[in-house]
Amino acid sequence: MAEQKEPQEKSIGTITRRSMLKGTVALGAAAMTGSWALNMAAPGRAEAAPKKLPDSWDETWDVVIVGSGFAGMAAAAEAAGAGAKTVILEKMPTYGGNSIINGGVYAAWDSQFHYRQNLNLGDDSPELHAEDTIKGGDYYNLPDLVQVVAKGAAPALDWMISEGGARVRPTVTRAGGHSAYRTHTGVAGVGREFTDALRRIAEKRGAAIALNSEVTWIWRRDAYPQSPVLGLEVKRGRRTLNIRADRAVILASGGFSWDIKMRLAHNPRMVESFNCTNQPGATGEMIRFAQAVGADTLHMNFIQLYPFAEPKTGILDTPAVYPFNGPGYGIIYVSKAGKRFVNELERRDVCAFAQIHLGPDAKPTWSIFNEAMVLKMGGSNEEVAAGIEKGRFIKADTIAELAGKLNIPAAALQETVAKHNQYIDGGKDADFNKPMTKAMIPLAEGPFYGLAQWPAVHHTMGGIRIDDRARVIDIFGNPIPSLFAAGEVTGGVHGSNRLGSNAIPDAVSFGRVAGTNGAKAKTEA
Amino acid sequence: MSSGSRFGDWATAGVLALMAFAAAGVMNSAGEQSEPRHATATPAPMTCGSCHTDYDGLLAEDHPKISGDTVGACLDCHPTDRASRSARNLLSARLHPAHLPPKGDLDCEHCHTWRAAEHFGLAGVTDDNRGAPTAEDMQWMRAGMLTWVGSGFLDHLHARAGIGCADCHGRRLPPAETTLTNEQCLACHGPLEKLVERSTPSDFADRNPHQSHLGEIACTVCHKAHMASSVYCLGCHRNFEMTIPGGQ
Ligand SMILES: Cc1cc2nc3c(=O)[nH]c(=O)nc-3n(C[C@H](O)[C@H](O)[C@H](O)COP(=O)(O)OP(=O)(O)OC[C@H]3O[C@@H](n4cnc5c(N)ncnc54)[C@H](O)[C@@H]3O)c2cc1C
Repeated sequence: MAEQKEPQEKSIGTITRRSMLKGTVALGAAAMTGSWALNMAAPGRAEAAPKKLPDSWDETWDVVIVGSGFAGMAAAAEAAGAGAKTVILEKMPTYGGNSIINGGVYAAWDSQFHYRQNLNLGDDSPELHAEDTIKGGDYYNLPDLVQVVAKGAAPALDWMISEGGARVRPTVTRAGGHSAYRTHTGVAGVGREFTDALRRIAEKRGAAIALNSEVTWIWRRDAYPQSPVLGLEVKRGRRTLNIRADRAVILASGGFSWDIKMRLAHNPRMVESFNCTNQPGATGEMIRFAQAVGADTLHMNFIQLYPFAEPKTGILDTPAVYPFNGPGYGIIYVSKAGKRFVNELERRDVCAFAQIHLGPDAKPTWSIFNEAMVLKMGGSNEEVAAGIEKGRFIKADTIAELAGKLNIPAAALQETVAKHNQYIDGGKDADFNKPMTKAMIPLAEGPFYGLAQWPAVHHTMGGIRIDDRARVIDIFGNPIPSLFAAGEVTGGVHGSNRLGSNAIPDAVSFGRVAGTNGAKAKTEA
Repeated sequence: MSSGSRFGDWATAGVLALMAFAAAGVMNSAGEQSEPRHATATPAPMTCGSCHTDYDGLLAEDHPKISGDTVGACLDCHPTDRASRSARNLLSARLHPAHLPPKGDLDCEHCHTWRAAEHFGLAGVTDDNRGAPTAEDMQWMRAGMLTWVGSGFLDHLHARAGIGCADCHGRRLPPAETTLTNEQCLACHGPLEKLVERSTPSDFADRNPHQSHLGEIACTVCHKAHMASSVYCLGCHRNFEMTIPGGQ
């Protein structure tokens, strides 16, 4: 991590700015007493009401973390490991947020098992991972932040394996937007493989988790660059508590995919009728509270659709991960008419909007794969059997039979498959210019499988501005003392479009950075 | 019976008090039950005799003659369980429903003494102290008691099985943030493996709410005692067909 100089404000600027900010709070003389809390919420909103700083604290911790997903757990593990008395506050009655329900795929250029090298799947490096990530984000990504993730991914994976007991399947896949075979899959097939591992490390080191504890405000006296965040207001059951953080507050509260109002405010295309893959707690209040104490945000309009969610409910269940892991091994996506509509190795935004642009009656589209691909793409025979039972995977011995079951014209599907098989042979995709590789398997031998898919709102790339030390940056470019953030609540790592399997390494790597630095910080009241 | 029995579980003792001090003269409408009518203090204690002229119609034939008009008379024969787990079909589980709406029309403070944030006990029994509820605590306790007596919630399902307050909450008043631990639920409903087995769906074995992809979670995530229970799974899996006892 780069050592950065603390930006020093000129004193005259500081004074002006400070008084101006107090003016913004619109409390007039009351602010002079010093007992009012900073609140930059837009006037007229309920949140903008003047708030008194708490006279006393109900609980005091060294490090207080908001959110119990990858980022919060990793931060807790590092903070507690550094000797800080650490608590995680989670508003939901269960721990894990989006992390515990996630697909469990993790991009890292290497691991202690070196699967890519051992399976002869080509070259990779942190530099290449960073390059792909930035290209996939249309060069909007903040390169400093991408470096932390690309470099942190492999050590963080090994940390979860060695210290937390996480297990990964013995393969790596090449997923959409990635130019290398670097995506690892947890054995559980869901993010819980890694949340449980992080939780074991965090709890072993003494961190506590408080569920049903919703943070409702961030306490800070003013926006003076030296003014630290002091603590949080928390709703727990029917009580409202004030919790003091002696060293740091770390925001790890995830994205806002379920915050329909916030979604629409920044990206009107993300209309209410879209399904959503997220857990119901994925709302944006912590971003607003952070803004109200001076935090800057960026990229709030970049919101990702997952192209392959279960069409009826928008769930990203175990089968719905297959289309994402499959392209490197030859999976194809077809429309109801039995035709391909996109280069399957394309990024998520391209794959999602290619489906939406098929027209109003295009839902659902289908992924087609065969048995030979299952294990290679990180799947398992048990998962396929369970998916068949639930009617998610449709199985057939021939392409014609599969077409019949999927209600697709058989001739069209047979033609599409035959053409794609030739493209694999010839190494060139004449329709969509997909970069064909030797690892791709032709759809020649059955059994074959079909899986219905449709886009659903999935990930918010934007959020709170941080630097490469996970410090939250205010609207003037200064770090806010004692306030850190990590994971999906932050913006800038993924640019306009997050590559699949990049969110876990982001959240875990930055969670570790935030926990390490948070434990070293100090607030003074 | 030693005087120690007076300090048995609060619900049992409370019910005894209700019986002892039933007071027809100060009944009010059910609608007012949820309002704390006394900000800080208790009305003058009533005796059972204020309402009941004799107990013959109420008690089993072989019940010994009741001597005295206070709760102490009952406590001598109906000891309370100090381990905070009492037997089923306790007096408390019979007497609270008999005196609270919709059947009866009494409020807590007819039979219990209460000083806000200082004391809660049984009227007429000296040294009886079961906690120090605030006015807000009293309101919650009253609401919980009323749904336990009659509602579609889980608490009433327990009431119908003769399970009183103390079976879950122990002999002291539950503090504001009380939530049961899984061990408490499993003491009667466990072991977990048995629950898992019973709730395994015949169609998709992996859609078992007691063994889900969220790992081990609190029973109270879905099962709420004093409000409607709800299936947490349905928050995301909107197409699952699942029901829950005490649900809406
Ligand atoms: C279905 C699904 C599948 C995915 N699959 C993958 C994958 O395979 N690979 C990959 O790399 N990425 C995947 N992603 C993305 C990735 O899972 C998320 O970006 C990541 O989990 C974010 O981690 P986090 O720790 O930042 O936030 P979260 O895990 O979402 O945790 C944030 C927590 O903060 C809590 N919270 C929010 N506000 C408050 C508040 N006010 N007070 C208290 N608590 C609060 C939330 O309830 C939540 O529990 C997937 C996402 C989803 C939804």
